[in-house]
Amino acid sequence: MNSTSSPVIETSDLVKTFGSTRALDGLDLSVAQGEVHGFLGPNGAGKSTTIRVLLGLLRADEGAARLFGADPWDDAVSLHHRLAYVPGDVELWPNLTGGEAIDLFARLRGTLDTKRRSELCDRFDLDPTKKARTYSKGNRQKVALIAALASPVDLLLLDEPTAGLDPLMELVFQECIREAQQAGATVLLSSHILAQVEVLADRISIVRSGRVVETGSLDDLRHMTRTTIVARTDRPAEGMQSLTGVHDITSGDGEVRLEVDGEHVGPVITRLAEHGIQSITAHPPTLEQLLVSHYGHEPEPEEVAR
Amino acid sequence: MTTTRSAPQSTRSTPRHRGRGAPSTSGGGTAFAGTGTLVRFMLRRDRIKLPAWVCGLGLFVVYIGAALPQIAPTEDDLAAASPMLSQPIGRMFSGPAYGMTPPTYESFFAGGYTLYLYLLAALMNILLITRHTRLEEQSGRAELVRANVTGRHSRLTAALVVAGITNLAATVVVAGLALTNDFSPTGSLLVGAGVGLTGMAFAGVSAITAQLSEYSRSASGLAGIVLGVAFGVRALGDMAEQGGSTLSWFSPLAWPGQTAPYVLDRWWPLLLPVALAVVTIAVAFALQDRRDLGAGLLAARPGRAEATPSLGTVWGLAARLQRGPVLAWGFGILVLGVVDGLFTQVMLDSAGEMPEALRQVFGAEQLADGYMSFLAVFGGYLTAAFIVYAVQSLKSEEDSGRAEAVLATPTARVTWGLSHVVATGVGAVLIMLVTGLAVGAAASGVTGTGSIFGDAFLAHLNVLPAVLVTLGVCTLAYGCAPRLLAPVGWALVAVMFFVGNFAALLDVPDWIFRLSPLDYPAQVPVEDIAWRPLLWLALVALAGVVLGLVGLRRRQISARS
Ligand SMILES: Nc1ncnc2c1ncn2[C@@H]1O[C@H](COP(=O)(O)OP(=O)(O)OP(=O)(O)O)[C@@H](O)[C@H]1O
Ligand SMILES: [Mg+2]
Repeated sequence: MNSTSSPVIETSDLVKTFGSTRALDGLDLSVAQGEVHGFLGPNGAGKSTTIRVLLGLLRADEGAARLFGADPWDDAVSLHHRLAYVPGDVELWPNLTGGEAIDLFARLRGTLDTKRRSELCDRFDLDPTKKARTYSKGNRQKVALIAALASPVDLLLLDEPTAGLDPLMELVFQECIREAQQAGATVLLSSHILAQVEVLADRISIVRSGRVVETGSLDDLRHMTRTTIVARTDRPAEGMQSLTGVHDITSGDGEVRLEVDGEHVGPVITRLAEHGIQSITAHPPTLEQLLVSHYGHEPEPEEVAR
Repeated sequence: MTTTRSAPQSTRSTPRHRGRGAPSTSGGGTAFAGTGTLVRFMLRRDRIKLPAWVCGLGLFVVYIGAALPQIAPTEDDLAAASPMLSQPIGRMFSGPAYGMTPPTYESFFAGGYTLYLYLLAALMNILLITRHTRLEEQSGRAELVRANVTGRHSRLTAALVVAGITNLAATVVVAGLALTNDFSPTGSLLVGAGVGLTGMAFAGVSAITAQLSEYSRSASGLAGIVLGVAFGVRALGDMAEQGGSTLSWFSPLAWPGQTAPYVLDRWWPLLLPVALAVVTIAVAFALQDRRDLGAGLLAARPGRAEATPSLGTVWGLAARLQRGPVLAWGFGILVLGVVDGLFTQVMLDSAGEMPEALRQVFGAEQLADGYMSFLAVFGGYLTAAFIVYAVQSLKSEEDSGRAEAVLATPTARVTWGLSHVVATGVGAVLIMLVTGLAVGAAASGVTGTGSIFGDAFLAHLNVLPAVLVTLGVCTLAYGCAPRLLAPVGWALVAVMFFVGNFAALLDVPDWIFRLSPLDYPAQVPVEDIAWRPLLWLALVALAGVVLGLVGLRRRQISARS
């Protein structure tokens, strides 16, 4: 129906204020058909607000938002046939069971695929006969996830969907998202759980104070950060600081620890080899570092360079 | 507490003493640690609410004191008005009617109006205790607090201390202001003490109900049922006999009236609310000892793994969510109606006490008709209260974020709102119909007059459009200004209650009568049914619903605004 070239989600210059708080301050976001898009940002950055605008629950003060080319406020009902949403803070009806809540959501969205539903309950290890008030936080989250994944949709809007899940369940979640992607769904995945986004996302947008400050593929963004290298050498590794792109050297006990800009890793390894490497570990840039370089009070790489 | 003697010592030595924290642990066991801090915190949170309640009680006293000489410039005029209080229906809604032969301003005040001071004090305490105990636990805020140095019983103790402070303030304000009306000191003190002690007794009752249910709304609802039953029992007991019958003594709301302020001036009936407060508070603490934080006393059972087909739409969901409240409220209203209906014969028999003048106005049959019309209004404002309660669930769905999840499915906002409005409306209609039938059956059964059955049913049908106006007003408030829903809704119910029982006893201006939708329908079966006002009321109700839904469609859904 939809030409693959036009983005599934597109916002331009979105502004949303709550009294004096500017929750969104000119947010530009674009999510292409079929991609898993990581939506990263610190607390209060405006992730949930963006998703609520996309759901047509909030009305943007300025700017435009399009979902499948339609207006999320005016065409909310028809758009919601094509999407599923998992809120960050899952609240269920205390006296309904988890199973009832899942079925309700699936039926509200369209048809209920009971086979898929029970398969998901098994995979997520959820007991659907419990009343919602007796579920733990993670189990409430599972109910919302199963409800969202049980029906085939074109778009998944997931607001910190695994905040309460244990690591095993997190793996199941990742599998499910990959399956959904293979089935052609587009996914917007908001999180501060960086590892999760790293594993799943094709592209990421980093939002801060209501603006997208960086967007691109993980590789694009990695160019902006540094690899951490920890090496144990036969002879003390000296003179490393003279190499271009090397920062934050600490050494002692025959071990040297340094950070190097992504494109200058080669010469550093060569130089270390001259000192006789006993052991070496290299961490690729984590998204923590990405976030720190954008939100933290760390100085810019250029400033450290001398 | 019972297991180790050394535990308090060892725990007391570990926390760093910061001077200010020390007094709170001085009360003994660690179960009460931090109570002082919590008291200060609660008082701070309620720094507007509680003074407003106490001022409201005070204003009531001042208003009555000023209004009485206006209605009846001399005590002779007062004597002419006294049958309003002393006849059976008057006694149902104002108390045992001591000191009516002849009445003085102060005895007229005590006989006609103080019951509502006691009622309001009870309500204030129910809301206060539930707000600071169960609501905090339900929201998880109590867990945050308990993780600090506070004990198992600190929260309940602190809430009861705050209730005690508030009730003491209410006692002083009410008694003091009654004195400024030139009422005699002993009687004024009795009224004030009655307010404070009734409040304390209901603080104890809601301390128990807060232990039973996991939800603050059911906790306050249960306490509200106790209050309603107390009102009903007292109404019937006082109706049966001037000065109250044996039945009256079973109701905590009758006890303060039995002090007969300004007439007999007896203190001993106040021992009863004191005893009730002590017993209920002791039971509440015992229950609290047996349960976990956040849990109720009734364990949760597993339920269905799959939803029934009826739960597949927003309509099914609304019906499912409203089912509990409809059944609970419906049952309460039905029972009150049936009991009142069963007392029809008692009421007719005691009509003999009525002054000759009044009896000529009514006549036996007319009196039964008047009573049926009255019971319809009575069921009407109770059902209106149900409506306000039920529409509030829309707001709690929105505040909790559940509405957001439903609206993220292809469900239009208007459909979602309408589903709850319709479920509430259908519930209200059912409650009124069933109550009408039951009241009619009860009344015609005890009197042996078949025609009363139809009259009672018709009387209930007749007030239905007026009751549904509440639904219109609440929908409008929710759709356009959700914050106003509770204040506007409960104010409307209060007006309906006030006008229904009470305004005729005071010389209130006409426009106040006009504020109550229940004042517009004809007094069926005393009068013939009048269609025009019913049509207008129905239109107003409908307009409110439509405008409210339009407002809901235009505004944003914001969780936790
Ligand atoms: N209904 C509201 N009323 C007032 N302010 C709001 C409301 N909703 C959000 N805000 C404010 O808007 C800003 C963005 O909030 P938002 O919930 O979008 O952040 P977030 O990125 O989802 O944060 P988190 O990671 O903590 O979930 C915050 O400053 C928040 O306080
Ligand atoms: Mg959020």
